[in-house]
Amino acid sequence: MSIERLDLFRVLSARRTDEIVVTTMTATLQWPLVSSHPLDFDFLAFGMGHAADFGLGLALARPERRVIVLKGDGGLLMSLGSLVTIARYGPHNLLVLLMENRSYEMTGGQELAPGVDFALLARGAGVEQVERIEDLARFEAALPRLLTEPGPHFIVLPVTNSEPLPPVAHTDHTQRVVRLRQALGLA
Amino acid sequence: MIRSVERSASAGVDAARAAATILDLGFTDLVSIPDGESRYLHRALLEAPGIDVYQPTREGEGIALAAGLWVGGRKPIVVLQNTGLMEAGDAVRGCGLGPHIPLFLLIGWRGYPGAMEGSLPIDSAYPYTEPILDAWGIPHRLLMTDDDLGVIGEMAAKAEQTSLPAAVLYGYGFRP
Repeated sequence: MSIERLDLFRVLSARRTDEIVVTTMTATLQWPLVSSHPLDFDFLAFGMGHAADFGLGLALARPERRVIVLKGDGGLLMSLGSLVTIARYGPHNLLVLLMENRSYEMTGGQELAPGVDFALLARGAGVEQVERIEDLARFEAALPRLLTEPGPHFIVLPVTNSEPLPPVAHTDHTQRVVRLRQALGLA
Repeated sequence: MIRSVERSASAGVDAARAAATILDLGFTDLVSIPDGESRYLHRALLEAPGIDVYQPTREGEGIALAAGLWVGGRKPIVVLQNTGLMEAGDAVRGCGLGPHIPLFLLIGWRGYPGAMEGSLPIDSAYPYTEPILDAWGIPHRLLMTDDDLGVIGEMAAKAEQTSLPAAVLYGYGFRP
């Protein structure tokens, strides 16, 4: 089973209130179709594979606010050690939603190494709140809990995408940072 | 141009004094990948009140973590070796230089003592360190003895004033 990614984003956007949402790779293309929020942060081109590391830093800095990271399985493979760091410092307010599509979608759909169990990797790294959610209804039902109960949560979501992808938005990187800090009352 | 500091009894930096300097400057978080030369500084800051210590698994991860801390309102210092700086190149570019995030980097210059002594073979990490920083336009000063401790504040201020990464290179490590 799998979830249509844009449907997943619509469900998340409908439930989201004041959480910071960090997106990377194809999530940066589709999340803006369902959300335009001052606490949205486009991490594209900030460092390959490091969206969750950046989100971890945000979560540690802002313990009063939940941080949601939307990243892919290919990106996770580029920084697997981050699972260990997330487990070690365990910020209660971090929610990582791993879009599992088994490919490097952004670069042409090259397949990942088969057979990788991302939930098992996260558990093996020491992350305690790990789930695999394979259908939209279950994801929708789990969201109130994931957005309120202490984490860190690491959720593996097998996704497909049948929608055309919008072009990359080449927005100014400095302004992305400035806008988020303004939204956090820091600038 | 390599500025040589002859190894002497005063080579290296007192870890407690360096830690006190870092705390006085208001750094809130240490993001550190341990290396042999920084272990006493790491220990001093681990035991110090008023600063949180994070030990990521690799330097690129640490740079992104520090960037998130800064964007969230903290003031992190990143301690890493030059070899780790090379590993972290994409993160330094993407999380520091590109978005103008004022990362302050305290970098261990592996190979420096051997190069100064003329030991062969010269560690391959040694000659690339300053050229890489120069190529990225990251200003840097040298911290080789206790007398140089002021460069930490100088370069931390430089990072804040420019809203760009700035660095201090230490060549002889930190003494207990």
